[in-house]
Amino acid sequence: MTIKGMNRYPIYISVKVLAIGVSLFCLLSPSHAQTVRDLIIQNPTYASCNYDVYPDSVPNNLTPSPKGKKPFYISHYGRHGSRYISSRSGYDIPFRMIAHADSVNELTPTGERVHEEMKVIMADTETRWGELTNYGKEQHRQIAKRMVERFPEVFSGDARVKCISTTVPRCMLSMGVAMMQMKQMNPKLRITMEASQRYQWYMNHQDNKLRRNYMTPEAKKAYDAYTSSRLGNSRLMELIFKNPDIVKEIVNEEQFNYYLIKMGLFQQNTQLRQNTFLQDLFETDELYQMWQIDNAFWYIQHGACKLNGGKQPTSQRYLLRQIIADADSCLRLDKPGAQLRFGHETVLLPLVCLMGINGYDLATDNLDELEEKGWWCSSVFPMGANLQFIFYRSSPRDQDVLVKVLLNEKEATLPIATDCAPYYHWADVRSYCLGKLE
Amino acid sequence: MSTMTAKGQTIAEELKADPNRAACNFYALPIGKTPKDTPAPEGKKPFYINHYGCPGSYYRESSSLYEEPYAVFAKADSLGKLTKLGKEVKQRLDLLRHDAKGRTGEITSKGIQQSREMIRQLVQRFPDMFTPQGYFSGRSIVQNNCLQSVEEAMVQLSSMIQPCNSNLTSSHRHNRFMDPQDQTLESQRWDSLTLARYNRFLALNSGHARLMESLFTDQNFLITHFDPEVLSRQLYVLAGSIQHTDLAGHVTLFDLFTPAEILSHWKKLNAKYYITNGACTLNGGTQPFIQRATLRNMIHMGDSVQKRTSPIMHLRYTNENVIMALACLMELDSCGLQTDNLDCLGDMGWASHRIAPLGGSIMMIHYRSEVGDPDVLVKVLLNGQEAHLPIESDCAPYYHWDDVKRYYLRKLYRYENKRLNNIGENINDN
Repeated sequence: MTIKGMNRYPIYISVKVLAIGVSLFCLLSPSHAQTVRDLIIQNPTYASCNYDVYPDSVPNNLTPSPKGKKPFYISHYGRHGSRYISSRSGYDIPFRMIAHADSVNELTPTGERVHEEMKVIMADTETRWGELTNYGKEQHRQIAKRMVERFPEVFSGDARVKCISTTVPRCMLSMGVAMMQMKQMNPKLRITMEASQRYQWYMNHQDNKLRRNYMTPEAKKAYDAYTSSRLGNSRLMELIFKNPDIVKEIVNEEQFNYYLIKMGLFQQNTQLRQNTFLQDLFETDELYQMWQIDNAFWYIQHGACKLNGGKQPTSQRYLLRQIIADADSCLRLDKPGAQLRFGHETVLLPLVCLMGINGYDLATDNLDELEEKGWWCSSVFPMGANLQFIFYRSSPRDQDVLVKVLLNEKEATLPIATDCAPYYHWADVRSYCLGKLE
Repeated sequence: MSTMTAKGQTIAEELKADPNRAACNFYALPIGKTPKDTPAPEGKKPFYINHYGCPGSYYRESSSLYEEPYAVFAKADSLGKLTKLGKEVKQRLDLLRHDAKGRTGEITSKGIQQSREMIRQLVQRFPDMFTPQGYFSGRSIVQNNCLQSVEEAMVQLSSMIQPCNSNLTSSHRHNRFMDPQDQTLESQRWDSLTLARYNRFLALNSGHARLMESLFTDQNFLITHFDPEVLSRQLYVLAGSIQHTDLAGHVTLFDLFTPAEILSHWKKLNAKYYITNGACTLNGGTQPFIQRATLRNMIHMGDSVQKRTSPIMHLRYTNENVIMALACLMELDSCGLQTDNLDCLGDMGWASHRIAPLGGSIMMIHYRSEVGDPDVLVKVLLNGQEAHLPIESDCAPYYHWDDVKRYYLRKLYRYENKRLNNIGENINDN
């Protein structure tokens, strides 16, 4: 989606209130063995939050099916795969600055190289804004392949696979390549694919009221305080511009730093991924600080943030209700197959927060807590991110249906009691979710 | 030049047999039996299918088309101005608008079937093409009904070949040849002479009094508040749109029109498409050249795949105007007609519903005996049927690739040279 991301940035960097130390040695929640900084060292794009790239492989360590039960139905919501950046402005902002500096002969040799690299990126993206990349297609092929391999019972024989995509082309294409992959594995599957405005009300619901009001004065104050010490990059300015003090008139240091990091990391989604020149300009701590800025932003916009009333995740109430309604109806069938939905990260993230998956229902007014308590948005919604509900039963007459949640194909937790984790009793999950919707 | 269908029908007979054809290019290509192929000359096998297709059946893009006529009937009904038939029509319009709500421009289940069936028939007709060694590319312009059409086709193909080496793309990057624009030609399309002739043609073929009297009890009311000409056209367009939806067979609006009225409406719409996409001499006869990049791409692709050792197919879905103008540029069957006589287009064989109906396509199929065969042959399918090219051949419907290439390239060069030499013209080589 284009709503958030780069455009919003200039709005919130203006007020510098106080400096808050960068907590490099954050406390770890039990569910995270590594720090965010570790993750960024291993995979720099982790720092780009919603531009992070889906992993090429996922660990094959699923808990065996509960005794006597088999998977029989999958309900899913997935984000489109890697795409080109949606809007030109994200690239135009730093590009215009560097082009301007170039026109007055203010670029160092490194700066000139950066300028050239940016031109290549601009040309590669031209006429492809927001389009799915080949990596995006491959992510969806692999996710579909693993889904069929891991849960063959759901996809056996002439099983039904009902797909719904938002009307956005990159989501439709993600759906198409996933279904081509499934047909390769089982040509008998009865696949339907729909992409209709009729389903937008729950597939891509953007709650205007919530969206307008997420940045309350209180939230803005806290956000500005949190980000003020993490903006700017004088080292980068020295590296790229001959006279950083002089170019200040035409280059906004904080914006330039922010957008150039994003532009560099974004290329991991495209065919330019082998060229890491821009990405390598930045030190780990610079990437890490940017992650902190963005993570806090995503939390305020979509998490249960107390600074704005904590209601943002309810933007996905219609989707959650639809998932329950679909399950209610599918559970009555002998062989329901799979229901796959293809959409956006601005839907997936609040849905995960709304359901409290893996503790993402964290409610706090202290942005410094996010990191130590494991609210790491990049782990939820990289390109290709997905949430899968796998339903198990012994037979169509089995009254005790169990469900397992996979977030990005890894077993996830729900904040409800169970005697068979990572499986949960569907009746409990259902009433818990309906309770959330009341 | 053929003036009749294969069954020897005139346009009037065709429309009588199936009034849905009156929708012109919004006619749904029927899902029929697999066409029979003329056997290829000895030893030649297909190795490349170059396809350009229209999206499958879809809902009309404009929601006002569904809402406006209903609003007229609702208002008239509230004032007691509807006849019994008018009240019935109001109900039907209500069904139509509800059916289309939230779906405008989207593919219908019939469109999905067309896409799948086209692939199924291709695999049946050209089994040598569809092997695990082949490469199959599906592309569409960035328009959802085209994207849905290509997706259905590629998923169908994936179920018929394993492993299927394929790709699926939808990008603005390919618009240069998949949906070319040409401001110069577009600006010439409706020049004042053409517009005047077309308006006169409309006036000569208009007559809505009988229809309106059958629907409304008070003609003064109708004329005061609405434009009967517009309403008549909207009802006719809606009549032709029902065939694409699940309401087909349950609801119709064609019963409101007499066969003569249907023919008149067809004539007017067909003439509009002819002026827009055909080699109509009123506006210079050059409109089909908008698709010159498409045709040139077809030729380049035909050459560039010759060294491939395994089969290849390019499926490309674009909007129906591209297909119609391309068929005219290629002069398939009677599509190359050049005339200024709008009244006789049907008699002269230029019928838009035969050229680019929804689900329709142009496919150039390349044949050879082996890699490096100097005498590659091609055959063109228009909507699945073998088409006639304006080129001599000793083996029609197969044509020697070199002859085809020479003919089309010369045609393109002639046009482009003329345009380049035309001093004072605003050259715009998009």
